[in-house]
Amino acid sequence: MSVATDRQPAATVPTRRKRRPIMPYWLLIPAIAILVIGTGYPTLWQLTNSFREYGLPQQFGKPAPWVWFDNYVTLLTDGQFWAVVLRSLIFCGVTAGVTLVIGLGIALLMTAVGRTVRLMLQVSMLLAWAMPVVASMTVWTWLFDRRRGVVNYVLDKIPGVDMYRFDWLAEPLTFFFVASVIVIWMSVPFVAFSLYAGLTQVSEEVLEAADLDGATGKQRLRLIILPIIRPVMSIVLLLQIIWDLRVFTQITILQDAGSSASEFDLLGTYIFKLGTGSQHFGMAAAASVVVLIITLVVSGGYVWRIMKEDSK
Amino acid sequence: MKKTMVGIAAFATAGALVLAGCDSSADETSAAPTEPGASAEGQNITLWVMGGDTPAELRDYLSTEYAEATGGTLTIEEQDWGDALSKLTTSLPDSENTPDVTEIGNTWSPTFTTVGAFSDITDMYAELGGDSLLKSFVDVGVVDGKNYALPYYFGSRYNFYRKDIYDAAGVSVPTTLQEFSDVTKQLTTSDQSGFYLGGSDWRNGISWIFANGGELAVKGDDGMWVSTLSDPNSIKGLEMLQDLYTNSSHAPVGEFDSTPWVNINDNESTGKPEAATIIAPGWAHWSIGDLSENEAGDPINVWNDEKNGVFVLPGVDGGVAPVFAGGSNIAISAASKNQEGARELMKIIFSPEYQEMLGANGLGPANLDYADSLGDDQFAEALRTSAASSKLTPAAPGWAAVEGSGLLEEFFGKVNGGGDIAALAAEYDEKISALLNG
Repeated sequence: MSVATDRQPAATVPTRRKRRPIMPYWLLIPAIAILVIGTGYPTLWQLTNSFREYGLPQQFGKPAPWVWFDNYVTLLTDGQFWAVVLRSLIFCGVTAGVTLVIGLGIALLMTAVGRTVRLMLQVSMLLAWAMPVVASMTVWTWLFDRRRGVVNYVLDKIPGVDMYRFDWLAEPLTFFFVASVIVIWMSVPFVAFSLYAGLTQVSEEVLEAADLDGATGKQRLRLIILPIIRPVMSIVLLLQIIWDLRVFTQITILQDAGSSASEFDLLGTYIFKLGTGSQHFGMAAAASVVVLIITLVVSGGYVWRIMKEDSK
Repeated sequence: MKKTMVGIAAFATAGALVLAGCDSSADETSAAPTEPGASAEGQNITLWVMGGDTPAELRDYLSTEYAEATGGTLTIEEQDWGDALSKLTTSLPDSENTPDVTEIGNTWSPTFTTVGAFSDITDMYAELGGDSLLKSFVDVGVVDGKNYALPYYFGSRYNFYRKDIYDAAGVSVPTTLQEFSDVTKQLTTSDQSGFYLGGSDWRNGISWIFANGGELAVKGDDGMWVSTLSDPNSIKGLEMLQDLYTNSSHAPVGEFDSTPWVNINDNESTGKPEAATIIAPGWAHWSIGDLSENEAGDPINVWNDEKNGVFVLPGVDGGVAPVFAGGSNIAISAASKNQEGARELMKIIFSPEYQEMLGANGLGPANLDYADSLGDDQFAEALRTSAASSKLTPAAPGWAAVEGSGLLEEFFGKVNGGGDIAALAAEYDEKISALLNG
């Protein structure tokens, strides 16, 4: 999408200041209205609740007293919360980064291979992408099962490697390794398809010209292909960061299979345990608002750059 | 200019999408005033049962009887124990989505009754069984002298062991808690747990605290509950538990909600069991035994007296250790629009016929007048003996929050993982005390 606009610069810049049509803004109203009702209202409700004491009694109709910033103070002075934030940021950074690299690799592979192989790649990636999360998580937990998992079985076959009944989900490091592998597996298809679409926009002539000028494969990738598909990469990475920061289902299901102790929490499960688990809805709302701010800080720069690039 | 306007619109849209990623975790709900209908005639009601404890035969009976009594339909929905707490929290206050009658874990009763989730059924108490009902379960459903939740069934936990393995090793059933540790340690090999116990399985782990005279929490003179994991008796129990887990169980430290019976049955691929001893709710015996097939050709396990046996967890000085009193309470949702129908269902549940059906299926009937229906086989015997000295978790208003927070799993996991017991107990006492008073 942004590739297309890049290639047709200034097509829509008005040169004369005639009557500006107002129709487009009218057309935007339904979409914005849906967003305001669908997400604006819950967000507002959440924002007000983060300033109130809201627990189980309030859920059953008792008045919720305003405590203003008490929830935030409690939360931000809690070391455990910051540990979860840090863990989530690292998990998100590593997972999104690796996803992008693998996705780019597969996209490049798809441009290089023949039609049949490409079709096979595409079909298998679509299958991975279309698999319902809970169904694939069930299979993943079986794969990494301590006693009967095929991962331990295969690794144990390697001479000198002792993986007999190795419990992947017992230690946070291996737990998040497994979680990261699963999330990457689930996200790579989207990244690969998007980048592949971007790559098809790189014109043959440019590459040919570079070839004639004696550019090596590596140079072509670094100096020609990557800059051209950069806008797509930015958007894809932005989406990955947001998705990986709020990852929930995968972590919950892994916790059910392994340990649910707090060392295994990311922001999503932390907030769930705080709210629905311990019935501190006010605190959970405050935590969600903090996460929202973190998301905006992490992704804000990106959004800004993408918008600037678009308006160039 | 136009560009910036479109840009702003796009940014607003993008912002809203980002916001969508952070859903509020609680639904807004309000307690709807109840409108008691004039009669139960034709009221269609919903009953939530927790997990698969209530067998199909009993469910069918309830539906049939309810239809006969009122002409309405009874829909029975099974909730998973793991999600039940959050589902109850979000559904009970909402008159559009609440179950009319719901089973609840007995330990959650104080929490929900205190906040007014259930209807006052004091006027029915005598009719439903009165003083014949299991008292400890009735008590957790009382607020200010009024009955809100009544017992549904009780269960308790006892040990299942493999006679063949005990015999081969020349050991006999232990009679004290220390002997239990010694025997199971002796039976532990590299691929067999003498006693399979999940490291985070606090519902079984607390027996060691109770057996040593410890408590999970006590109510102070000021009426406030405090967590008492650091109590010297609790510490003694935890030390014993840590030693037992370290030497006798190969279960993962994080395992908390296991199906222990799979570990005492012969493993299909190895032909031997994972464990020589397990502890489980009484009805687990339906899942224990030699692998066989039923008439439909589905695999089932058939109890084999030659190989399978039961014994109750012994106390510190012999006798019986107090185990966690399993079981459920049942109550009418205060937000239900079908109060009359719900009350009708309560009458059916507490009828002599249904109480005896509970007993016949190995569930301790709420009305102790019908306890004989449990029969007199070894399972009924073990159930009675262990239930007699079983113990409930603290009746603190915030107890459900403690369970929901996962702190107990975490604490027991860390203790069994070899952590410093005194330091951990102090740390988690502080965390749990903060939740106990609601």
